Amino acid sequence: MNDPYSVLGVSPTASDEEIKKAYRELVRKYHPDNYQDNPLSDLAQEKMKQINEAYDTIMRQRSGGGGSYGGSESAGASGGGYSGYSGSAEFARVRAAINAGNIPLAEELLRVMTNRNAEWHFLMGSVMYRKGWLDEALSHFQTAVSMDPANPEYRQAVSRFQQGGAYNPYQGAYPGQSACCCDNLTACDICSLLICADCCFDCF
Amino acid sequence: MFGYIRPMRGELKVREYEQYKACYCGLCRALKEQGTPLASFILSYDFVFLAMLLYDAQEAPATAHVRCGASLFRRRKACLKFPALSLCADYCIILTWWKLHDTLADEGFFRSLRDRLFMAVLARAYRKAAARRPGYAARVREALEALERLEREERPSLDACADQFARLTAALAEGAGETRRRPLEQLLYHVGRFIYIVDAADDLPEDYKARRRNAVAERFGLSGVLTDKARESLETTLLHSCRLAAAAFELLDSGPFTPVLQNILYLGMPQTCRAVLSGTWRRDEKRKSKEFELDE
Repeated sequence: MNDPYSVLGVSPTASDEEIKKAYRELVRKYHPDNYQDNPLSDLAQEKMKQINEAYDTIMRQRSGGGGSYGGSESAGASGGGYSGYSGSAEFARVRAAINAGNIPLAEELLRVMTNRNAEWHFLMGSVMYRKGWLDEALSHFQTAVSMDPANPEYRQAVSRFQQGGAYNPYQGAYPGQSACCCDNLTACDICSLLICADCCFDCF
Repeated sequence: MFGYIRPMRGELKVREYEQYKACYCGLCRALKEQGTPLASFILSYDFVFLAMLLYDAQEAPATAHVRCGASLFRRRKACLKFPALSLCADYCIILTWWKLHDTLADEGFFRSLRDRLFMAVLARAYRKAAARRPGYAARVREALEALERLEREERPSLDACADQFARLTAALAEGAGETRRRPLEQLLYHVGRFIYIVDAADDLPEDYKARRRNAVAERFGLSGVLTDKARESLETTLLHSCRLAAAAFELLDSGPFTPVLQNILYLGMPQTCRAVLSGTWRRDEKRKSKEFELDE
């Protein structure tokens, strides 16, 4: 196994606090949510495993070699896979093909279907998403939501596009960059807006 | 040639900025060494990004202080040739040549004359590059032909067009080692997709004036101007491409260029996307296109 300190990117003399910080940052980076439906999710899982092992090893060493240190966050894949409720046996086959990573087969199965309901659009969107055809994926997801607005699975697929949710080392540095800076105004934002407005009025 | 993949300069550290400039000069030198006259004309930021991305050693590449036509009195720091640099130089030559070849048919007399001259100047470098990378040259030709066929179809799919181009960039990952290949392929695919769609959105008014087909115009039924709905939809999917590219990038081991590449993926590309979609890109382009060349 690699040196656990180099896996976490810290020096062996780092304090416990520094190690925890580095560990949390890495967990945030490789969290399964960032790689949901991503063809590379297995690689991210692998990274996550290495990081957890490295953290456990360091903590065990530091606590005097005692039993396993149960401090590592278990970030299991949340909501991954397409095991959702499916209307028919045909859709179940498509879901199985997507889960197995056989995207061409899933696409083929969907193309010959005549019953193009919300679930069909959702699954077609998922196939397109895996292929990297994001424009079509978004259109299909949006159609699915408009046909069945109550379905949380479809709504989540659309919102994944809008908020991204992925790790960004520059997060916060550019308020103008976040997807929505006006949707969730806090008291603090309102204050700073008022201060800005005040400055502007001074100019006139 | 495109120049859409570039860092957000204000966020680079001085050391990163110097690394970037050294790679830029290194690529320019590689182009010249590989027989391209007027190398600085076909050089673009996109290929500098590709070269930095495909560099896979742990130590920074060696540099030297060199003199060149663009800086006669002061020697500049340039990266010495490394394998990814010559690969990107060849790629740049091959792609430029075929792009010129493809646009000839759509152009008026004077523009086509200019492009023909340029092609004649490039011909020798192209032959050499194509001989060095025969598979790649054939692939570029096939992809661009397929793209042309697709673009002639009634209402072609924007993603299908972008896919042809994206596969070309993704093919650059072929030479990479086993562990690097998959993340690199996905990263390069989304970068290629980004370039194709941003380029189409950027060309929208010009293409409309010249009555050329434009994949973005066809997708949203536009006449030369982006509507709010089209802009919103494009921004959503393009920024998502940036995110997927960045997520793939994080799976690669870090190297000497990691901070610069992170800047490009997390800041530079989203910035470009917003500028092109809001129509401020062209206005700033003249100033920007010189920013890494002139100042010391």
